[in-house]
Amino acid sequence: MAASDAIIQVSDLSGGWDEKLVLKDISLEVKRGKILVIVGKSGCGKSTMMSYLLGLNKPWKGKVIFDGQDIWESPEVLEKCRRRWGVTFQSGALLGNLTVLENVMLPIKEYTDVPHEEMELVAYSKLETVGLADFADSNPLEISGGMQKRAGLARAMALDPEILFFDEPSAGLDPVTSAQLDELIISINRSLGTTIVIVTHELASIFAISDRVVMLDPEKHGIIAEGTARGLRDTSDDPRVKAFFGREVVQAAEGRS
Amino acid sequence: MIRGIVIALFILEPPREDPVTEGRKLSIDGTKLSIHGVLQVEESDRLSELLEGHRKAFMSAGCFDIDFADAPGIDAIPAAVLFEFANSLKRAGVRISRLNAAEAIDNLFKSFDDNVSRVGSSKKLNGLHEHFEDLGEAIATFIESISGLWGFLCNTLNTLFDTVRHPGRIRWQMVFYYMEESGVRAIPIIATLTWLLGTVLGYQAGYQMRAYGAETFMPALLAYSITWEIGPMLTAVLVAGRSGSAYAAEIGTMKVRQEVDALSVMGFDIFGYLVTPKLIALICVMPILVLVANFAGIIGGLLAGGIFLGMPASIYISGLSSALIPFDIIWGMVKAIIYAVIIANVGSYMGMRVRGGAAEVGKATTGAVVMSIFFVIVADALMSLLFVHIRPGISM
Repeated sequence: MAASDAIIQVSDLSGGWDEKLVLKDISLEVKRGKILVIVGKSGCGKSTMMSYLLGLNKPWKGKVIFDGQDIWESPEVLEKCRRRWGVTFQSGALLGNLTVLENVMLPIKEYTDVPHEEMELVAYSKLETVGLADFADSNPLEISGGMQKRAGLARAMALDPEILFFDEPSAGLDPVTSAQLDELIISINRSLGTTIVIVTHELASIFAISDRVVMLDPEKHGIIAEGTARGLRDTSDDPRVKAFFGREVVQAAEGRS
Repeated sequence: MIRGIVIALFILEPPREDPVTEGRKLSIDGTKLSIHGVLQVEESDRLSELLEGHRKAFMSAGCFDIDFADAPGIDAIPAAVLFEFANSLKRAGVRISRLNAAEAIDNLFKSFDDNVSRVGSSKKLNGLHEHFEDLGEAIATFIESISGLWGFLCNTLNTLFDTVRHPGRIRWQMVFYYMEESGVRAIPIIATLTWLLGTVLGYQAGYQMRAYGAETFMPALLAYSITWEIGPMLTAVLVAGRSGSAYAAEIGTMKVRQEVDALSVMGFDIFGYLVTPKLIALICVMPILVLVANFAGIIGGLLAGGIFLGMPASIYISGLSSALIPFDIIWGMVKAIIYAVIIANVGSYMGMRVRGGAAEVGKATTGAVVMSIFFVIVADALMSLLFVHIRPGISM
């Protein structure tokens, strides 16, 4: 069945900020168990797209369907959907007044009634997955940017989501840390079968992790290309796609993956 | 030695020559301006002086030529001066020609030509028209924020009633934290200030009233003004300054750091998590703070009476007890609850409105204080006008 193949379907979505149109008539599918990367220049609406996928803002027009359900059907549906999602934000978005461990326990507390020991156990094991078990009691603002992102990832994975969203995972990270994060993302995808949606403009990451790439363009307010990263680079005739993928950095990335 | 200083002064401040006679970078021959070398930013003033000096000559000749034969390039600022001058001549019917300009210079002037129509379209700071525009915009923003605040208030009160029905959902830990932060820690400053105000007010009132032999009414006057107005109002102003701003800053920072988004994606009820604890805490502590303020103010009056007016404490207290009824105290506390709702809501609302960077947080903080105090005074005026008759014993 086609519906079970796609975990998220976006149809004819339009939206923007205040009066300004950012996205126009977007339709796309996220395939179950795959890694989809949304790319584009700054200001092309990647983050806006993400906020619609996450139900943080209601689009002006169009639908976001998660596993056969329109997420805006009712607040209850949205809440149920969110329980099955994990999200890591650009800055990690850890709550500064809680420790790293408490941050990871936050969603568990909110959604379940399991005893405190079990919560902590789960939180520790998730922190272990991202290699931060030793920093459980730190204040999130005192650890490095890369660690904050990984802690955010641990929190996003706390309820074993079916789908993980990443907003610019490599922003502000050095290439090595960024590559480690990419490897972590791939290993989560391979070992747990988690569907992953990433917004980024980091070429190295795109080639390393994507199964499929969707490219947005600020002038068209929409998708100008869709396919595998290599396919787009090698076969696309669109000058905008060529300009994006045709930078020298690609060679370096290719050598790695 | 003196000669040495004079020479040194001359070296430091060489006598100014007319740039034309200087013959270095700029020279004017009839209607032709020749530029030698790259004209730099520092030379724009000189250029402008020189050109203005010859304006009449160019006008009467009807032509103005600029010769770049010797100029490999030109800085943008002197070029703009030149361009503007040439344009003003052109408007007066003078024929302008650029001679021997290198490609880079030509391109620069072409780009000036392309952009000259845009100049002035960016917002100007002066002009009556712009002021009215700004005023209208400010009013529109204000009205919009009031309607936004109204929606926000409905939302928080809704959540509040919801949580009151299910007390288990309230985050008591946070409530106690804010009670301490906004309540307990505010006691010293509120008590000190109302005590001082009570003293001043008691002294001033007693001093004036003594002229009419009416100083025995001072305790009554003081008790009314403190319990009805000064106590609740001063408490509200101080709490708005201390806590309203802190709420706006806290939520604003969380908004900037995407923590608010993270919470809503995790399925948290933002109002229940961030706003309700603050609201409950303020509703609990504000009436108590007003009690403290009233008490301190009245003690201040007692001191003023005793020290400055020679009024025995027994007279002061009997004056108080004949004037004050429990209703006055309770009314002040009711007002405090309304102020608490205003301050918690305005603070949180301004924080939630933050979008973008850290500078927005500062604006939100200031806005929270100003708006809280504004609404507190409006609410106070309304309540005073509408409910002055509800006090038992007042008849008009």
